[in-house]
Amino acid sequence: MTAMIRIIRGGGEQSEFTVETGEFTTLLDALEEIRSEQDGGLLYRHSCHHGSCGTCGVIANGKRVLSCVTRVSKLEQPVEVRPLTPYPVIGDLAIDPAPLYSEFPDDASILRPSEAQPDATPPAEIPGFTRFENCIECGLCESVCPVLRAGGAAPGRPFKGPAALAAYGREIEKHPERTDELLPEIDSPDGVWGCDRALECSRVCPLEVYPAKQIAVLQQKIRARKAPV
Amino acid sequence: MGSDRRRAGDAGRAADIRVVIIGGGGTGAAILHDLTLRGFACTMVERGELTSGTTGRHHGQLHSGARYAVGDEEIARECMDEVRILGRIAPESIEMNYGLFLALSENDVTYGDTFQEACSAAGIPNRRLSIEEALRHEPAINPQAHFAVLVPDGTLDAYRLPLQFFATAVANGADVRSFTEVLSVESSGVAATGVTVIDYRTRRKERVPADVVINAAGPWGGQVAGRAGIDLPITPAPGTMVAVKGRLCNMVVSHLHPPGDGDIVVPQRRLSVVGTTQWETDDPDRIRTPEGDIRSLIRRGGELVPTLADAEFHAAWTAARPLAGRSSAGGRALSRDLEVYAHAADGLDNFYSVIGGKATVLRAMGQAVSDILCSDLDLNLPCTTATTPLLSHRHYFRRAS
Ligand SMILES: Cc1cc2nc3c(=O)[nH]c(=O)nc-3n(C[C@H](O)[C@H](O)[C@H](O)COP(=O)(O)OP(=O)(O)OC[C@H]3O[C@@H](n4cnc5c(N)ncnc54)[C@H](O)[C@@H]3O)c2cc1C
Ligand code: SF4
Ligand code: FES
Repeated sequence: MTAMIRIIRGGGEQSEFTVETGEFTTLLDALEEIRSEQDGGLLYRHSCHHGSCGTCGVIANGKRVLSCVTRVSKLEQPVEVRPLTPYPVIGDLAIDPAPLYSEFPDDASILRPSEAQPDATPPAEIPGFTRFENCIECGLCESVCPVLRAGGAAPGRPFKGPAALAAYGREIEKHPERTDELLPEIDSPDGVWGCDRALECSRVCPLEVYPAKQIAVLQQKIRARKAPV
Repeated sequence: MGSDRRRAGDAGRAADIRVVIIGGGGTGAAILHDLTLRGFACTMVERGELTSGTTGRHHGQLHSGARYAVGDEEIARECMDEVRILGRIAPESIEMNYGLFLALSENDVTYGDTFQEACSAAGIPNRRLSIEEALRHEPAINPQAHFAVLVPDGTLDAYRLPLQFFATAVANGADVRSFTEVLSVESSGVAATGVTVIDYRTRRKERVPADVVINAAGPWGGQVAGRAGIDLPITPAPGTMVAVKGRLCNMVVSHLHPPGDGDIVVPQRRLSVVGTTQWETDDPDRIRTPEGDIRSLIRRGGELVPTLADAEFHAAWTAARPLAGRSSAGGRALSRDLEVYAHAADGLDNFYSVIGGKATVLRAMGQAVSDILCSDLDLNLPCTTATTPLLSHRHYFRRAS
C-alpha cells in the first residue's frame, strides 16, 4: 500500500510525499520514512514510539493526535499534517512545549499508587505498587482548548490550561496536605475560573485524563473552602 | 590540603576545556551531566529531539542485573548498584515494583539454582517463591509455572529519566542543542578541534570549537566516527517491542532462562510492553518493524502473562542497539556491553567514542567516560553524580521561552 502525506510546515510551506505503508504503519513511521528517504532535514518530535513520552503530537486532517499510535491506514488521504498550535514552532512539525510546562505546579509527582490487581499484596520489600500518572504531557488538550486558541493559531486569553490544572488536581488528591499551598495558585481568572467548559480537552486526551472534570472538581473545592460555615 | 588545592586548580583548568558531546540519548545525557558537574564547559549536540534515537524507545526495564547475572557478574553488579543510586537521585522516573523470573519448564527449574547463585554473587537480593506465593503478589502470571524468583527489577520512564540528567546539566551551565546535526569532526594535525554542525532550526551551518569531542551517537556511532575520518565498524541491531493496552501486571515478569527473544513483560502506566527480538541492519534510519515479530512476541509474552494473548494491541516499534564490529586499538571494554574508544590510537587525539551500555546504567557510563577523560588529561576531579539529586524532567523545558 502507499499513502500520500501532505506536510504543512510551521512556516506555511507545503510538501507532499508518497510513502509505502503496511497494516501497522503509524503516522510517525511515515514521517521517519520521509526523513530517511526523501527529506533528510524534516523536523518533528518523537521519542518512545508507543504513546508514553508525549512528544509526538500533531494535527492530522484537523484532529490532534499522537502520531506514534495513529495508523495511516485509518486516515483519509492525502493525510494533511500540521504542527500543534498554539505552541511556538521550532521548525516544520516540531514545536517547543515550554508554555505547557511553565504552568505545571512545582515538582508535582508523576507517580501514583497502582490500581492494577487491587487484591494483590506487594512483596515485603516495597510499601505498595506504584505507577506513572496517565498524563504524558503531550499538550493535545491545550492545543484544542478554545480559551487558549481563540481561533486558528491566534493566542487566546491567559489561562494555565487543562494539562497543568489537571496536574494541580492530581497533586492535591495525592497530597491533601498541599491543598493550602496549591489551591490559591489556581483560584484566579487564569486558573480554574478561566475554563469555558468547552470540554474539548477531555474529548481529545489520548490518556483519558479528563482535564475538564479535574478543573470542575478543583472549582468545587475552592467554593467549598470559601462557603461560610 | 594539598589534594584540595590541586582539585581547585584542576577545576579551574576544566572550566577552560570545551567538550562537545555528539548524541542526545541517555549516554550523552549522563556524560554531559557528569562532566558539567566536574566543571568542564560542555555542549551537547543532538540531530533530532532529545532521546529520539534508541533511548526513548527501549522497554523501560530498570534492570536489577538479574537478567545478566549468569553471563556477566560485572554488569549485573553495576545494574544493582545503579538501581540503588537512581532510587536516590531520580525516584520520580521509576515504578519500583520488583520483578519475577518464572520457571516454566524442567530446564528452567534446573537453571534456577545457577541463576540464584549468580544473583547472590553479584549482590542482587533474590528470593525463591512458591507459585502460590508469587500469585499473591502478581495474580497475572502463568499459574503453571513451577516457581518464581523475586528480584529488585522495576520500570523506568525511558524519556523522563534522561531528561532529568539534561535538566540538571543545563541548570549547571551546560549547553544543549537539539535539532542540530554534526556533519564533520575537524582536526588540526592529530588533535580534534571542533565540529561543523547544521542547525536545522535556522538551516545554517556553523563551526563549534572544542578541545575534546565525544561521540555518543549509539547505533549511529560508526557514521559519526566516519565523519571524523575514522573507521569504527558498528552494526545496528534492531529489536522489536509490542505494547498492549492494560496494565496486566505490576511487576516486571521475565522467563527464568538465558536471555532470549520475547522473554520479558514490562508494565508501564496502563500498558504492558513485551520484548524483544534481534536482527542486524546497515542503517539505523531504515528499520521497519517486522509484522511477524508482533505475533511471535505476543505469543511468547502470553506464556509469562496469559492475559496478554487476548489483550488489545496498542503499538509495535523497534530500537537499534549498536553491535561493535571490531575493537579498535584504543578500545577499553568497561563491561561486556560498554566500550570507550580513545581514538588517539587511530591518529586523532581528544576524540572518543562511547558505544553500548544499558539505559539503567546511564549514570555509571557517564562516570566511566568522565573518569577516563580526567585521567587522560591528568585532572583530579572526582565524580559526584551518585549523590547529586536530579531536577525534575519538567525543568528542562521550563527554562526555555
Ligand atoms: C530493543 C532494545 C530494548 C532495550 N531495552 C532496555 C531496557 O529495557 N532497559 C535498559 O536499561 N536498556 C535497554 N536497552 C538499551 C538502551 O536502550 C540503550 O543502552 C541506550 O538507550 C543507548 O543510549 P545511547 O545514548 O547510547 O544511544 P541513542 O539513544 O541512540 O543516542 C544516540 C543519539 O545520537 C544522535 N545522533 C546520531 N547521529 C548524530 C549526528 N551526526 N549529530 C548529532 N546527533 C546524532 C541520534 O539521533 C541519537 O539520539 C534496550 C535496547 C534495545 C535496542
Ligand atoms: S491531559 Fe491528556 S491531552 Fe492533556 S497533556 Fe495530559 S495526556 Fe496530553
Ligand atoms: S513518540 Fe512518545 S508519545 Fe508518541
